[in-house]
Amino acid sequence: MFQLFLIAFRNLGTHRRRTLLLGGAIAGVTALLVILMGLSTGMKETMLRSATTLATGHVNVGGFYKVTAGQAAPVVTAFPKILELVRKEVPELDYAVQRGRGWAKIVSESSSLQVGVGGIDVKDEPGFRQVLQIHEGTLDGLDEQNTVLLFEKQAKKLQVKVGDTITISAPTMRGTNNTVDVRVAAIATDVGLMSDFNIFVPSNTLRSLYQLRDDTTGALYLYLKDVSQVPQVQARLRTVLADAGHQLMDNDPRAFWMKFEVVNREAWTGQKLDITNWEDELSFITWTLTALNGLTGILIFVLLVIIGVGIMNTLWIAIRERTREIGTLRAIGMQRTRVVVMFLFEAMTLGALGTLAGALVGLAVCLGVDSAHVGVPEAVAMFIMSDRLHLVVNAGSVVGAMVFITACTTLISLIPSFLAARLKPVTAMHHIG
Amino acid sequence: MNAAVAQSPIVSITNVTKDYTLGKVVVPALRGVDLQVHPGEFISIAGPSGSGKTTLLNLIGCVDTATSGVVSVAGQDTKQLTERQLTHLRLHTIGFIFQSFNLVSVLSVFQNVEFPLLLQRKLDKNQRKERVNQLLEQVGLADHAKHRPNELSGGQRQRVAVARALVTRPQLVLADEPTANLDSVTGQNIIDLMKELNQKEGTTFIFSTHDAKVMSHANAVVRLADGKFLDRLTPSEAKRAMAAGAEGH
Repeated sequence: MFQLFLIAFRNLGTHRRRTLLLGGAIAGVTALLVILMGLSTGMKETMLRSATTLATGHVNVGGFYKVTAGQAAPVVTAFPKILELVRKEVPELDYAVQRGRGWAKIVSESSSLQVGVGGIDVKDEPGFRQVLQIHEGTLDGLDEQNTVLLFEKQAKKLQVKVGDTITISAPTMRGTNNTVDVRVAAIATDVGLMSDFNIFVPSNTLRSLYQLRDDTTGALYLYLKDVSQVPQVQARLRTVLADAGHQLMDNDPRAFWMKFEVVNREAWTGQKLDITNWEDELSFITWTLTALNGLTGILIFVLLVIIGVGIMNTLWIAIRERTREIGTLRAIGMQRTRVVVMFLFEAMTLGALGTLAGALVGLAVCLGVDSAHVGVPEAVAMFIMSDRLHLVVNAGSVVGAMVFITACTTLISLIPSFLAARLKPVTAMHHIG
Repeated sequence: MNAAVAQSPIVSITNVTKDYTLGKVVVPALRGVDLQVHPGEFISIAGPSGSGKTTLLNLIGCVDTATSGVVSVAGQDTKQLTERQLTHLRLHTIGFIFQSFNLVSVLSVFQNVEFPLLLQRKLDKNQRKERVNQLLEQVGLADHAKHRPNELSGGQRQRVAVARALVTRPQLVLADEPTANLDSVTGQNIIDLMKELNQKEGTTFIFSTHDAKVMSHANAVVRLADGKFLDRLTPSEAKRAMAAGAEGH
């Protein structure tokens, strides 16, 4: 086998220009794949970090309370007991926070906006400080009752700055509109799509707006030490909460505000809990990731087809050039299977070296772009939830890409290899050309 | 080993024909050839270009199949064998020396000679090394073991081919015009080497040539003309017959 490998390796070296051309193409595809995967992973990571802090936990215990069948409010009543149970049953928990949920109109002297209103206890939110960059004012300002945190674009539209007062007007379950005047305590730098339709006020301000009790909140956001444990935790919580006597909604992987219509149509009243995860709550924006992954798939497929044709052609040429050699080797006793293996080795060696070079280039580009803090246009920033490109390389994925592309190149070479092996020794030996 | 077995031919060809189809035209290359070669013989196949020498060697070497008739090598009817069995027969029973050497250009001299042993998988690394070095010594190329074929002269390359053909200790070595691409002195050296190995190891050699000087080293000369067996002569008879033929022209 070593001898076959040696022949394959040295033949690649002998036809240096052809090897470099094809190896370069394989390296290019690998590098592109690594970069696209880095971008996708980076987006996912950014989304996970930013969006989970602003709009969802890794796992959420939310739900709806219905006074009558057709009037649902996105609240969880008597949440301290649920929180206690969750802390006891979820050892994977890093920390948990309660968040109020609302939908309101904010009005300044010059403009107004419809936004989601999050009620937070800013002192209990360690992730919040890490994710948000405060452009103006301080986050601690949200400690005070009747304050609000806006994002830059919102502040610009409303034409307000820190210290100004705006009015929040929200429809209540009784059909009336409640209003509260709040002072702008902080203006944060935009974080993509999330900051277009979210503002934050202290929990008590939100409760007073909706006239809710102190033990009522919008949802419990659970942050885990390891995000990969979300499915297990989610499943366990369903069992534990049901065992504790809570009514649970059927699993529906959508954001809570997309469920009003369904919930209002159902006949039940009282409290039902809804266990969701971050992907459910962000399902309306994770399509960007799906689209990127789809695009990556299509692009890589097309490139692999081109590379495949290139490899086939190259092997055709190699086989044509080496037909006499194949004939000689078959004449001196080499079985057909070994001829196939010899050419497969050649394709595999080319694939392995090409993908290794490509992976290194892709890795260097990812690390370079990431550390250079390359900015992105506003439209892109909206989707990737960051104003700069963040690329994350996952070693497992890179190795996977290398193995996949090498396997593809090797498999593609099977056809010309089989045809080479099928040549009759006498025909091959007397081949001219 | 009893006498009957010892005398049984290593190559037996009975009424063999071989036709090639070129488009719609069928060209007969061999027309009913009979030949028997016994172990230890050093036989030359002679004849003008197109007489069927190479075709005959290809059939004996199991790299091609006859259109009709029986080709038997080492007691096995080659028509009855599968492709795999034919390859096995070539690897273990037959050695090839080609007119244009046919060495693997990316392997060294040592690796080229070692290659059939690797295919056989009979010997371990040390045994292979010993066998190859011994043969390289015999063909006078011990100092060139690490060279690539393109770093050698034509004569040296053919000696590598001889070593490669003999490394598996085959019962039969086929050489198709082994001296055609060599100058007369080098060609003579190669024939001397083959003869020496034939006498020392008892290996059967069948080689094709149209060079009378080369033919003179053979035990017997089998003459072909137009794909037909003409006669089997001693080298001196063959030389005279060829001289007479030339005068007749």
